[in-house]
Amino acid sequence: MLVCPACGADDLIEGVDQCDHCEQPLTDQFIRLPNSSLEADLLRDRVRDLPAHEPLVLGPDATVGEALKKMVAGGVGCLLIVVDKALVGIFSERDALLRLGVQGVDLHDKPVVKYMTPNPAVVSGGDKIAYALQRMDVGGYRHLPVMEGDRPVNVISIRDILRYVTEHDRTATV
Amino acid sequence: MDFKLSLQSETIRSVYPEAPVAVEPTMSVADVIVLMQTEKVAAVLVCDDDRLVGVFTERDVLRVLAERVDLSQPIRAEMSADPVTVNDDSTVGAAIGRMAEGGYRHLPIVSSIRPTEATGMVDVRGVMRYLVEHFPSTIYNLSPKSSRTAAEREGA
Repeated sequence: MLVCPACGADDLIEGVDQCDHCEQPLTDQFIRLPNSSLEADLLRDRVRDLPAHEPLVLGPDATVGEALKKMVAGGVGCLLIVVDKALVGIFSERDALLRLGVQGVDLHDKPVVKYMTPNPAVVSGGDKIAYALQRMDVGGYRHLPVMEGDRPVNVISIRDILRYVTEHDRTATV
Repeated sequence: MDFKLSLQSETIRSVYPEAPVAVEPTMSVADVIVLMQTEKVAAVLVCDDDRLVGVFTERDVLRVLAERVDLSQPIRAEMSADPVTVNDDSTVGAAIGRMAEGGYRHLPIVSSIRPTEATGMVDVRGVMRYLVEHFPSTIYNLSPKSSRTAAEREGA
């Protein structure tokens, strides 16, 4: 089976010179979709196929102390800052270490928006898992909010992807 | 090489293990946090004379800041003792499995000959890079959504 890299059509006849659906030339890119391998799964499955975690959210007037306590209590590595349900930023463990540091114990009353990462990278439910993984790798992120329009509906973490990899590759758990 | 095969044959040397940043158990929590900031590392090993006794990670930083722990106390009091480790001859697949299972993002690497001696650290970001590099190169060029609109050939 041949997959078109431009439009994702997967019912092409091997050897065709251009995609039947989007007419992209295929002469220099024969991609075989491996039958039932982890690689094929990563190419096929979408972000929405990963387990959903209700994102922890705080409003723009939340304090650093609230954010820290909420993350520890929830056992999560990041929380989302929203204004009228729209995503404006993300506050992660990394931000706590790099932006708060040792002063963090004295900054509990400060607004968390001062220390968050604004306009974070996001994905949507229809994106391929391979794409999400690549975004994480390029940006060095361990969490990505999953968006529906401007509203975050889920957060996926690198841990979800590792678990996905082990579940789709029995040898990894041995 | 087939991806599946490489997961079970390649060792953790392939996932870019980093030279670990190690601290003494007596170092203060505040000093360790500053060291993590300057070295830009998300985790440090706590070693007592080459012997691995614990790890201290970003997650622990979050907790000590949230609980307003006294930062002048020694790191020994706030580290995670007896961390889960991998051997330096473990496979990539084994390391990924251990990380996914326990939710760890850092695994100290210990010598297979002397299991108390830490020689490195596997970071989840190295694993991520490994996975991305083992994709077909075309994935880099894939659009996130398939833009396939017409199921039928035009004019058909």
